[in-house]
Amino acid sequence: MSENNKAVVDIDRRVYDIKDVENEQDFYRMEDGFTEDIVRKISEEKHDPEWMREFRLKSLEIYNKLEMPDWGPDTDDLDMNLISSYVRSKSDMKGKWEDVPEDIKNTFERLGIPEAERESLAGVGAQYDSELVYHNVKDEVAAQGVVYTDMESALTGEYSEMVHEYFMKLVPPTDHKYAALHGAVWSGGSFVYVPKGVKVEIPLQSYFRLNAAGAGQFEHTLIIVDEGADLHFIEGCSAPKYNVANLHAGCVELYVKKNARLRYSTIENWSKNMYNLNTKRALVEEGARMEWVSGSFGSHTSYLYPMTILKGDHSNMEYTGITFAGKGQNLDTGAKVIHQGKYTSSMISTKSISKSGGIGTYRSSVTINKEAKHAKTSVSCDSLMLDSISRADTIPGMDIRTNDADVGHEAKIGRISDEAVFYLMSRGLSEEDARALIVSGFANPVSKELPLEYAVEMNNLIKLEMSGG
Amino acid sequence: MSEQSLLQVRDLSASVEDLPILHNINLEIKAGETHVLMGPNGAGKSTLGYTLMGNPHYNVTKGQILFDGQDLTNESADKRAKAGMFLSFQNPLEVPGISLGSFVRNALHEQTGKPVKLLQYKKQLGEAMDLLTMDSEYADRDLNVGFSGGEKKKAEILQMLMLNPKLAILDETDSGLDVDAVRTVSKGIQEYQKKKDGALLIITHSTKILESLHVDYTHVLVKGHIVTTGDGSLVEEINEHGFEKYVRCEGCDGCSPLK
Amino acid sequence: MSKVLKVNHLPALTYRFLKSNDSEIEIKDIEIKAEKTPVTGELPGGISVKDDATEEDIRKIFKSVNEKIAAKKLDIPGPNGDTMPLNDAQTVRTGMGVEIDSFMQEMNVPVTVISAEEGQKVSQPVMIRYELSDGDCVLGSQVIHAKKDSEITVIMEYVSEPDNGGFLGIQTRLLAEEGAKINLVKVQTISEKMVHFDDIGGVCDDKADIEAINMQLGAGHTWGGCRVTLLGDNCVFNNHTGYLCRHKQGYDMNYVADQMGKKTNSNMVFRGVLLDEAVKTFRGTLDFKAGSAGSVGDEQEDTLLLSPDVINRTMPVILCGEEDVDGRHGASIGQLGDDTLFYMESRGIDEESAKKLMIRARMESIARMIPDEAIIIRIQQYIRTIL
Repeated sequence: MSENNKAVVDIDRRVYDIKDVENEQDFYRMEDGFTEDIVRKISEEKHDPEWMREFRLKSLEIYNKLEMPDWGPDTDDLDMNLISSYVRSKSDMKGKWEDVPEDIKNTFERLGIPEAERESLAGVGAQYDSELVYHNVKDEVAAQGVVYTDMESALTGEYSEMVHEYFMKLVPPTDHKYAALHGAVWSGGSFVYVPKGVKVEIPLQSYFRLNAAGAGQFEHTLIIVDEGADLHFIEGCSAPKYNVANLHAGCVELYVKKNARLRYSTIENWSKNMYNLNTKRALVEEGARMEWVSGSFGSHTSYLYPMTILKGDHSNMEYTGITFAGKGQNLDTGAKVIHQGKYTSSMISTKSISKSGGIGTYRSSVTINKEAKHAKTSVSCDSLMLDSISRADTIPGMDIRTNDADVGHEAKIGRISDEAVFYLMSRGLSEEDARALIVSGFANPVSKELPLEYAVEMNNLIKLEMSGG
Repeated sequence: MSEQSLLQVRDLSASVEDLPILHNINLEIKAGETHVLMGPNGAGKSTLGYTLMGNPHYNVTKGQILFDGQDLTNESADKRAKAGMFLSFQNPLEVPGISLGSFVRNALHEQTGKPVKLLQYKKQLGEAMDLLTMDSEYADRDLNVGFSGGEKKKAEILQMLMLNPKLAILDETDSGLDVDAVRTVSKGIQEYQKKKDGALLIITHSTKILESLHVDYTHVLVKGHIVTTGDGSLVEEINEHGFEKYVRCEGCDGCSPLK
Repeated sequence: MSKVLKVNHLPALTYRFLKSNDSEIEIKDIEIKAEKTPVTGELPGGISVKDDATEEDIRKIFKSVNEKIAAKKLDIPGPNGDTMPLNDAQTVRTGMGVEIDSFMQEMNVPVTVISAEEGQKVSQPVMIRYELSDGDCVLGSQVIHAKKDSEITVIMEYVSEPDNGGFLGIQTRLLAEEGAKINLVKVQTISEKMVHFDDIGGVCDDKADIEAINMQLGAGHTWGGCRVTLLGDNCVFNNHTGYLCRHKQGYDMNYVADQMGKKTNSNMVFRGVLLDEAVKTFRGTLDFKAGSAGSVGDEQEDTLLLSPDVINRTMPVILCGEEDVDGRHGASIGQLGDDTLFYMESRGIDEESAKKLMIRARMESIARMIPDEAIIIRIQQYIRTIL
């Protein structure tokens, strides 16, 4: 096999990379950096209730005290003084697509968002830089009592008490440095409430687009799926590439009540100058089920480990993830789970691909508390190395505090076998196609968990990564 | 003793994870008798074996299991074994670190409560292994570790011969074995039959293993019901015609297993 | 003297809340004796022992392999949270790390060098027996040096009376030159009132082979580290560890197979049983360095938990900077499986006896690999006594 075929090729990001020139007078941009003054300004700009302004200032204090963790990817090149915490279009959020400003609309249309909404989604939210520019829910879904709105409206509207009750209770600002930062400067994001017993048949989606250079996106997603209800929520992220660092420190808090089910799917394709320091967490009550499907393709650096707390008896979770680390990327991803209730079960299954000098790290923790009798967990992580200038590291941890648990862990690292490539070539495929096919097959357990159009998008991303476009 | 039933299963229903598998099973086995339990795949044959032996995954929802005058319905498997019941597993356990020989000796010790005399034990084990054409080195190998399918089945029959139960339940002991191995296993079963009053319940979906064995009763299990019971000749009939007519529920007393 | 040693660094750091990134040994108010290695019995032919080597002498022994390691300096980055640089100052990288080296030097522990001469394949084991009296606090250090194409077996026993208090810290470093083989057996049955550490570091050159068997059965708290650098091509590291922790015993482990050469092969097996309020932390790492093409590594951990009050931490790490490798880790942790128990019970063995049988089975499956019948019997007796 010639070395050429393994050569470094960067992804073709044609669609994602088109920069939309922001007409300065149409946008409000907060000065760079994170100071008390800036936090106060954001709070003012957003007409926060009193408690939220206090919360922001307290979070900033915590942010200034906390250290960056010593275990993850290097973030030395992320200069916080050069990040703008808040950029928004001066136009308000629209409920009709036609009313969204032309340049922003063009961006989303190129990404296929309005089309997806017409065809397969129950509701869509679209965030451009720091704020939602568009939000819409299908009438029949709204008629079921499902609330899907932007966080700002939720904060002051009918559900303000609910927001106050749940906001950053699951991910407190003290959790880590970037959770604190999020608490201080968050803006945008979605609030979803699915009432008791309501099954939302088709998915809701939020799409996040960070368009401004040197900006941070700090959206907050709060979803409450009430008893016996059912929801599939999809999150998509992208940004064009700039030569300066961008920062995404979002926060997702998910409450899955008794016997409810929530599926949360993410295809993350931030540009490769993005520092993606995102925090996601779910609290799962009795008999409820949390499902995560996570594809990480973009970003320069990622710290991403959705955590599930299996609080109620008989609650369970399933995490399916794939990470593709290409040139210049250091993607540190995985999952965390805490078993608290009895008869809880968790299943983590991940695939990780490293290529062209990319660093892919699978990192996880499984904690089974003493009370979690009859807990069951199974972890399976496979890594695929596509060349010898990349890294694929697997760093799982388990802390088991009861004997009445069934713990299985399997990890594998390997390469594409020459025999498999040869077999496919003997059937007429080019070597490049053969390798791409094998990688797609490796990723298949994840793509089959996604709705068709997202699976297609993911396979396209893999193909682009493999072929170099 | 021979007049009284060794095993009496009364109106037994059982389920696995709340899924009912066995329905109102009645079965009586006297000392020295050989019973065959046949039926298509998924009929619940192995479930019956496990339920009789007391596998905790299988819940008795109704009925009784009486064995040798004792009600064992709610007893753990070791109590049943001590009472004289034996189950040969389809997929026996592998234990690295304990040899086959020492495992059997341990089990004998537990069952009898008496120390097992080494020399006599070794002699007996050697004879049984000879009969089953097992290489004597298997006694020193870890229990079932690295054994082929055939060797595992032989090791189960070896344990049956050594533990000498009153009733041996053989669960698909012939499945996956070649002709020679079936013959050898059959020889082991005959040896057990020779023992006075040793009873057998042979669970199988093929008839290969029964060719050289004397059979007293044949039961046909379909969808968790015993749909017919006959003598040894029923084996022949099923061999020729299969389970077709039982699946269609002829001769069934109103249980309607297909509903 | 009193001292705190930071040891057993996880090769790549992870979440702090798992409390497994490293461990601390607290040494309090004890009088340490630095002892020469107690080699017992007759020394087999072809083996020489020098028992007053200094660290400088040891550096000389490892000079050529260390140069070879330095020449392999890699240009791809290490893993996120890499702790390798912390131990750069070691003469030979060990599982527990640099603070054991400095502790040994500070305490002036003489190093005993046991060498197998070139081409000498010696099957008769060298026997080392640390027998501790009440209150003994002993440090010991040895280097096992198998010269080109030689073979050496060393069996080390750590014993004491059941109620003796004390401390035992051992560092054993290994060099297997080209084509050489080292068989190292360690059996620890010291009193639960003792604190213990056992640190191993080894280097395998081309076609060399290190085989380690470790039985950890006693001591109140044990730290064990073992790191083997598979430097040469086609070299092998096999490890089998068996442990039994009960009462409030603690066992903190750090095993690393550092695979640098081409077609290296590592296989590590860990079988353990935790009873009562025992606490165990297992760190096991396969580290495939760039250039280790054709290498394979396998790690299997199997832990039986027999009490609701045990704590089991497991960190099964695989680091990889090379495409052409095959690495896997499997862990199975839990109580006696229902199927296992049912099978045992169906043969008339009740739950209590089945547990004992499985404990014995686990320990025996490792112990019986020891090439010394008398020691196997001693282990069997020890286990029978404590059960």
